[in-house]
Order: sequence, then C-alpha cells, then structure tokens
Amino acid sequence: MDKLASLLHTTPAIAWMVLKVVIVFAGVMSLAAIFTWVERRGSAMIQDRIGPNRAALFGKIRIIGLAQILADGIKMFFKEDLIPTAANRGLFFLAPFLAFVPALLGFAVIPFGKSFVSGGTTYHLSVLDPGNGMGMLYPLAIGGMAVYGVLVAAWSSNNKWSILGGMRSSAAMVSYEIGMSLAVVSIFMTTGGYDPSEIIRAQGHQPWTWNIVRQPLGFIVFFTCMFAETNRLPFDFAEGESEIVAGFNTEFGSMKYSLLALAEYSHMMTASALIATLYFGGWQVPFVKDPSVLLSVACFVAKLVFFAWVFVWIRWTVPRFRYDQLMNLGWKRMLPLSMVNLVFHAWRMSQGH
Amino acid sequence: MGVVVKKAELSWLDRTYVWPVMKGMAITFEHFIKQLFTPTSKRYTIQYPEMKKEMPDGYRGLHELKRFEDGAIKCVACFMCQEACPARCISIEAEEFSDLNITQGFEEKRPAQFKIDMLRCIYCGMCEEACPKDAIWLRKDYEVAAYDRLSMQYGKWDLMNTYAEIDGKDRISQDPTPTVPRRTIVM
Repeated sequence: MDKLASLLHTTPAIAWMVLKVVIVFAGVMSLAAIFTWVERRGSAMIQDRIGPNRAALFGKIRIIGLAQILADGIKMFFKEDLIPTAANRGLFFLAPFLAFVPALLGFAVIPFGKSFVSGGTTYHLSVLDPGNGMGMLYPLAIGGMAVYGVLVAAWSSNNKWSILGGMRSSAAMVSYEIGMSLAVVSIFMTTGGYDPSEIIRAQGHQPWTWNIVRQPLGFIVFFTCMFAETNRLPFDFAEGESEIVAGFNTEFGSMKYSLLALAEYSHMMTASALIATLYFGGWQVPFVKDPSVLLSVACFVAKLVFFAWVFVWIRWTVPRFRYDQLMNLGWKRMLPLSMVNLVFHAWRMSQGH
Repeated sequence: MGVVVKKAELSWLDRTYVWPVMKGMAITFEHFIKQLFTPTSKRYTIQYPEMKKEMPDGYRGLHELKRFEDGAIKCVACFMCQEACPARCISIEAEEFSDLNITQGFEEKRPAQFKIDMLRCIYCGMCEEACPKDAIWLRKDYEVAAYDRLSMQYGKWDLMNTYAEIDGKDRISQDPTPTVPRRTIVM
C-alpha cells in the first residue's frame, strides 16, 4: 500500500488525469458493450427465452454467451460500409461520433468514488475535479448536445423515415429536458450547490436521507425524463421499427451502426450514473459512515449497474408510447409535476429548513 | 348502427401510471427470475443440437425398411408403394431368392434395389399405408439433410439401417440368402 502511495505521489498530475480518463471511459465503454449482451440476455429471460448463449471463445469456452459481444464487434467491423448516394457524406460520417461523444462526456464530472488524501494532496475520483465551476450543469448541457447526434444522423442519411425519427426524437428530447432540469434545480436548491460531490456529501450515508426519500416526486420526473433523454423504450421515438423502419439509423451499417448502438448504451450508463449521483447518494455506501475508497467505488458501480438494468427491465415491460401521448405526458404531466416539486421544496426551505 | 364501446374506467391509482408500471415490472421480474433458475432441460426452448424434440406418435419422418430377425428384408417387392407414391420417389427392382428355412415358400421375391429419392419424398406416408407386409415405416427421425444431392438418394441398405443405432440392431449390408437366377431353378 505504501509503495502504491509513493507511486501515486511521484506520478505527475497529468499522468493521474490520463489514468482517470482511461479508466472512466474504458470502463463506461466496456460496461456499455456488456449491456448490449445484458439487454439481449435479460430480455430473453423476461420473455421466457434463452438468448444468445452460443458464441464461444475458440469455439469452446462459452462463458454464458459473453463472447457474443466480441463476435458482434468483429462482425460489425468487417461489414461493408455503405453510404447512400444522396446522403450528405460529411455529416453522415460525423453523425455516429456526434452521438457517441456527448454520451460519454456527460460522465466526466461524476465522482465514481470517495476522494482520498495521500501525502498532503487530495485525489478526486472523477475526471473533472469538484469545484470546476460547472458541476451538474455540465452533464445537463452535454445531454442537450445528444440531440445533435440523432438529428444529424437522421438528416444526413436523406431518408424520410430517418428524418421522421430524428424529428420525433429531437422534439421529445427537447421537451423532456425542461422537466428534467427543473427536477434537478430543486436538488440544487435543497443541497445549496450544484457540484456533484457536494450533492453526494449532502445526502449522507443513511439511505433515508438520500434525495430519493426527500424528493420522490422529483425522482419520478427525472427518471422518466432520463428515458426520453436516452431514447430508450418506452420513449424510443428515434427508432420505432413498427412505424418508421429503423428510424434515424435506417441507413447506417457496419461500424457506424455499431457506434450509434454503443452511443445509446453509453448514454444509458451516463444516465444511470446521474440517477445514482443525484438521488441515490452516488458513492455513499448505505449504513457505512466512512467507507474505504475501494468500497465506495464498488458501491457506485453497483448502483450504476442496477439502474442500467432498470433501463433494460423497463424497456421489456412497457410498450412504446404514441407520439401525442408522449407530448401530453411531457408537457402536461412532467413539467407541472417538476414545477410542483420545485415550488414545494422552495416553500419548505422558506419555512426554515 | 354503431356499437358504443365503453372505455375501461381506470382508478386514480391506475391513472398515475407509476403504479401499473411497477406492477408490470413485478410480472416481468418474476418471469426473469423463474427463467433464470429453471434448469436448461426444463425450459421451453429446445437447444437443438444438444437436445432434440421427442416427436409425437404418428409422426412421419425418415423411412425404415423392416427386417426379419435373421436380417432378411420384409419387403416382397410388390411395387404397391411405388404405385401409391404421389411424389414418385420410390423405385424398386425385384429379384428372386430361395429360402427353405424361414419363409413359407420355396421361391420368394425381394427387392434387389429399393431407392427413395429423399429430395422428392413429401413424407405423406402413402407407402406405409399401401404396404401389405408392413415392411416400410415412416418413423420419428427428422434430420434428413445432406451437403449434396447424391447422398439424398437412399438405397436399400441405407433404408434398412436408418434406425439400426436407435433400435440397437446391427447394421446389415447383405441379404442372409443369396439371390437365385430364375432360369436355373428346376420347376
């Protein structure tokens, strides 16, 4: 442990930063890849099927079908990369990245473990240190960027189904963003700051002091809006194979499609990290006052995986909404509810809390 | 005359949408857990190469030419099946043989060649119906596939051995009694 600490002290700050970036983004990306498998296997189990369990390493080691991820990756990588003649080539190439990068970037401010002091310096386990002045506003802003990925993908492929999907989903994302932001604002208010580490510290280690108990209404609104933000069922208006073929990614094939799919899952990871941070105490370990660093990281990852699983779980429970239902829900239910939540907490604070 | 369709009245709890979704999630989770802890052999899915479906009685699968205990073919080359076959996939060539021990007559008829073109066969079971000696059965093997057309032409010995492993019988490739050219027998 001492050796590890001295190694830490001698590493320059930039190396520590690079290490964090690599760990976070490699971790999130591999979790996203694993969740493509979890989605298929989980949905199969929910529907009394078995799901992909055949793919095996070297044709022998089956490991419950986890090699399916590799097989899918290799297959996608070697497929022909077709570009429609009428497509806008530049944007068509750019779109998967526009979808993928914001999905990952949102993760940057989220502390995935407890900060620790070693040799007089504090080390923060988040890519951007707390006190950077952006706080939770950053993932919200980046979440807004995610609209471009879908919209550019849809527009550049010059396909009517794609454009319909892109328009629908961008409208949904924009309208749900308001409800989501208002729900987050009431957390900022009760916390008295918008830095994620502050929000986590304010929630404490007892599960009944977490924001889920303090603001259940806000949680419901935020959680629902996250589904619209990540374009997951029941709000996956970008796709919708029964109505508009495959929606915004109709024309995408091979690695581009793979990136778009990965973007969705990375977005899911970021969203579940946000939910865990804002409402479930982030890295706080329930009932443990001063957890070790590793335990806090493990607890955060456990929460992250659980909420990602809830995303999958809900997808295979609830059917897709109709577009007008979605808009009604967004503007007539979610927005007023988050306002009620905001006003209620403002009133409570004014009463001397 | 239109029919008035009454809308289902939802309680306030159902109209919140949150509670019904949670109920639905409970149902899906129950299915998930149940399926997760069901052993593979008891799941609905039959994982094909390792597990095979037990076909129901009366299933018409791959043919078998039946044999007597000594390995003599039951078929008497009466051509009934060839006539009955709507797909015209059976072709028989008859021959004569003498067998004083087992069968009742001195001279008997049997197929020298009995070919079924499995690519043509429609598994209708007409040959089985037509056979007066119960010599051809359509049994439960459904895995009739090959890489080339020639191996789908089943000959007499292929057809006699199709179920040999399943029944625990020997594979045979020779008639117990030799064929007798017709002209050599003294009448």
